Amino acid sequence: MRRPVLEARDLRVAYGGNIALDIPHLAIAPGELVGVVGANGAGKSTLVNALLGWSRGTPTVAGSVLLDGEQIGSLPPHARVRRGLTLVPEGGAVFMRLTVAGNIAAASAPAGSGRRGHDEEEIYALFPRLRERLHHTASALSGGERQMLAIARALRLGPRALLLDEPSIGLAPRLVVDVLRTVRGLVGENLSVLLVEQNVRAAIEVVDRMILLERGRILAEGPAAEMRDDPRILAAYLGEAVA
Amino acid sequence: MNLVQQLINGIVLGHAYALIAIGWTVLLGVARLVNFGHGQIYMLAAFVTWWATVGLGLPYPLAILVAMLAGVLIGLVMQAAMLRLTFTQDLVSIMIVTLGFGHMMRGIAGLVFGGNPQVLETPLSWIDFELAGAWVTAQDLAIILVTILFFLLLHLTLERGALGRTARMVAEDPKLAQLAGIDVRRVYFAVFAFEGAAVALAAALVAPRTPILTNIGFEEVIVTFVVVVLGGIGSVAGSYVAGIGLGIFTALFGGFVSPAYATTAAFGVLIVVLVLRPSGLALGAGKGGR
Repeated sequence: MRRPVLEARDLRVAYGGNIALDIPHLAIAPGELVGVVGANGAGKSTLVNALLGWSRGTPTVAGSVLLDGEQIGSLPPHARVRRGLTLVPEGGAVFMRLTVAGNIAAASAPAGSGRRGHDEEEIYALFPRLRERLHHTASALSGGERQMLAIARALRLGPRALLLDEPSIGLAPRLVVDVLRTVRGLVGENLSVLLVEQNVRAAIEVVDRMILLERGRILAEGPAAEMRDDPRILAAYLGEAVA
Repeated sequence: MNLVQQLINGIVLGHAYALIAIGWTVLLGVARLVNFGHGQIYMLAAFVTWWATVGLGLPYPLAILVAMLAGVLIGLVMQAAMLRLTFTQDLVSIMIVTLGFGHMMRGIAGLVFGGNPQVLETPLSWIDFELAGAWVTAQDLAIILVTILFFLLLHLTLERGALGRTARMVAEDPKLAQLAGIDVRRVYFAVFAFEGAAVALAAALVAPRTPILTNIGFEEVIVTFVVVVLGGIGSVAGSYVAGIGLGIFTALFGGFVSPAYATTAAFGVLIVVLVLRPSGLALGAGKGGR
């Protein structure tokens, strides 16, 4: 395997004295789309947040995170973002008081980084709906539109690796497929994606590789084609059906 | 009583109030923070302006810059001490720490500048004009002009351009702003530095109106509190309107009733307004409107 774009070693997250995540090794190759699935509370969001050193709570994070071979584990979140690791947190976080245009204009690849973010035309080609809603504040958008805007903002930053935390949450089933297909289309030599998704059925259709988390640990990992018939993934399907 | 004179006094006082309060308005609007040492920064800056003119012999405009620099330094030191509290938005601790800083500043001012009242004389204090039977000094006109200019510049900066957008993003959600690559720590430092500079500018312009003592500052922080709340927390335009309104109210109340109860009356108005319109008087206030 070529040098991973994103790699984590001995990543451990604890809240108080409770270990919420314990991942000995995780790597994402250039141009790879990796899915992370698991039940509620399995540690999926904790994982992507820890990779960025970001959290709304105050967890203790230990271990190393490497982006393109560079150790970034000790950097604050904004510095990791500037180096090319970007997170779209759960709920499609956007700035509600800014307009769609303002949200998009406020994000750009850092000068001197050598990376190029999506320009506005590329964003509107990808999400034509956003062009129609250009002058609306983000608070006036639907859930799906906000999710598009959140992804658009992330792409503007010119990421090398994109962490997507449940982009399909709260969306109508048809929109889920649309969003995941769009994500699939984004992945290429210059962009690798780690996709957290509860909708296993939809995720397995688009990802290259799948990681199944349970109680903060990797329970199973492998190419999507192999994981499709894995009994533990089937159990996750059932879990989803029950939920 | 000369009504025109009272109105002019009120307008001057109102601009002074607005300028004294603007640092807090931005502090609350962008960083969702409070600074109960605000009044003592005002006091120290007044003394620094006096010292720069009398002690160093600097011309008044340069003395204003020295005072603003002192304000910036105080703001940075306070923020450095409170950084962790700022990030966790621990408002109660921040209130106590800033009150403590205020008392320390008062003590330091006593040590450095002594306990005697001083008069900050400026070349503008000696120039006065008659306007419709009322008197106004060049210092008063300077307060009005500088306040209007300062508010206009601030309004334009926050409304247009990347700096204002960054401020709005941090104000809305500092955690999310980190994901946009914004160094929120730096923004917090900048906001505290701005607050220090703004209140120092206000002190350098307004303090020549009254003798300066190390125990001034309490009334200024109270006035600031009233202006910021009436204006709609975080609203620059609202603070301006509230400052002028409070200034005219104080001058007229002082003229018609008694200056001794003007602050009491101002608080009465504040309570009534908060009961009737909790988000403040300004349009769009309370929604982060500027």
